[in-house]
Amino acid sequence: MIQTLLDALSYGGLYGLAALGIGLVFGVMRLVNFAHGELIAIGAYLMIITIDLGLPLSILIAVAGTAALALLMELSVFKRLRLAGPSVLLIASFGVSIFLQRSYEIIFGALPISGQIAPWMSGVIEFGDTTITRGSILTIILALALLLGMRFLIESTTLGLQIRAASSDFQTARLLGVRSNYVIGAAFVFSGVLAAAVAFVLVTQRGSVDPLFGVNITILALVGTVIGGLGSLQGAALGGFAVGATISLLNSFLGNYRVYTYTWLFILVIIVLLMRPSGLISNKAYKERA
Amino acid sequence: MSLLSVRGLQAGYGKVQVLFNGHIEVEPGELVGIVGPNGAGKSTFLGALAGSVKPSSGSIEFQGTSIRGKKPEDIVRLGLALVPEGRAIFTDLTVNENLLLGLTGRRDKSGSAKAIAEVTELFPVLASHRGHQAGLLSGGQQQQLAIARALVSEPKLLMLDEPSLGLSPTIIQDVFGVLNKIQKLGTAIIVVEQRAHLIMSIASRTLVIREGHVRATLSREDAKDETKLAAAYFGAGADHE
Repeated sequence: MIQTLLDALSYGGLYGLAALGIGLVFGVMRLVNFAHGELIAIGAYLMIITIDLGLPLSILIAVAGTAALALLMELSVFKRLRLAGPSVLLIASFGVSIFLQRSYEIIFGALPISGQIAPWMSGVIEFGDTTITRGSILTIILALALLLGMRFLIESTTLGLQIRAASSDFQTARLLGVRSNYVIGAAFVFSGVLAAAVAFVLVTQRGSVDPLFGVNITILALVGTVIGGLGSLQGAALGGFAVGATISLLNSFLGNYRVYTYTWLFILVIIVLLMRPSGLISNKAYKERA
Repeated sequence: MSLLSVRGLQAGYGKVQVLFNGHIEVEPGELVGIVGPNGAGKSTFLGALAGSVKPSSGSIEFQGTSIRGKKPEDIVRLGLALVPEGRAIFTDLTVNENLLLGLTGRRDKSGSAKAIAEVTELFPVLASHRGHQAGLLSGGQQQQLAIARALVSEPKLLMLDEPSLGLSPTIIQDVFGVLNKIQKLGTAIIVVEQRAHLIMSIASRTLVIREGHVRATLSREDAKDETKLAAAYFGAGADHE
């Protein structure tokens, strides 16, 4: 029972991180970035390839590399599409996503590469007659620390204030002097850092990485951002958490029938959206980027 | 040398041209009005000066250097600030956060605290609501916040797009009273207004824009002459220029 709850919390935290990464970029530039999954994948690749250097250095390389790729995406593709509409941005992000998947296939091969990242994460801790996995506890701590860290950054720093302003009304923010390229670049870098954190947790669970490594969680996290209310960062994290926790709970309650987990998940998603079409936390100041 | 000197400015949105011939001269510390019917191109004119609308031709010189085609975030740092139509305050942020955002456009960050103190002296109501969410303020208070937010960047030229929109007559008097004060402190001001009489009574000169052209420049004396105003506004008779 305790393990079930911890799993739900850790899954929720993980999906919350993925959704927040997507929500950050959506907030400042109204871009639904499908290529977020490929950021998660590169994080996992970098960790597996460099794990022989030791875990701390490997994580550092993965975080830096993922953030760099996120920034590169913005500078090489999205920056050139500033005046394009949301649909063009969306299609462009599909393009980036497919381009990166194929590139991974050419560079790393289509088959999964396996590697042991932090094997102690899969160990168990015993409390009397209940045992819980270390991984779920550490994932909860990691997710909580990152979510609180992001919250501090967004709520209490000048850059965070500029990101919030740009998310609600980009035009006016620029009129006040907020540098658009700087704020958008920062959002991409943060989404890259969050993607690397998601990659770390996923790769310790799965023990391998393939070109489509990040696709599944990205789609589900996107569902989370929609449920939470597009354009609201709090909503994105909360929606992602709800989706992750629900998947985990359904998996354990359905037992042998867990093939129906996603059926039930999307039934619940439909019900939520029927009741609250603009998401759990709707962003009243939703305005199109100019 | 004029503070702002604009000639033959053309601008629009995509293929739709709205402004065909915008020109204006503003001296340091001067208050200039711009009036004209709906859709005449007044907001586009201000937007082109502030950098939020891309001009297609013409020249904009601010303090002797060309600012045409510069980004809005760079133009505000040069000392030209716009309070957009509809106030555009960040309703989800607090009053204080709105003011802090205004500091982004300052070149000299050291005077930030002093600038905030000065605007809250000018708008005492903001001081008592600093921690409140800006969306909870009344329309008049929101307009004051929008002006204060632009002022903390200490612009040399402040541009306001229809500051009276949606405000009651007494509040409008207050807002315009504040504009007078700001001008006395040495800031030049351009005010776009639908209410021609209101602005003409405090502006040293008022431009009339119609169908994307600056059709006339009226002095404060002209404002008292209904026929001159009507002619400029509706296009009956010859242009004054």
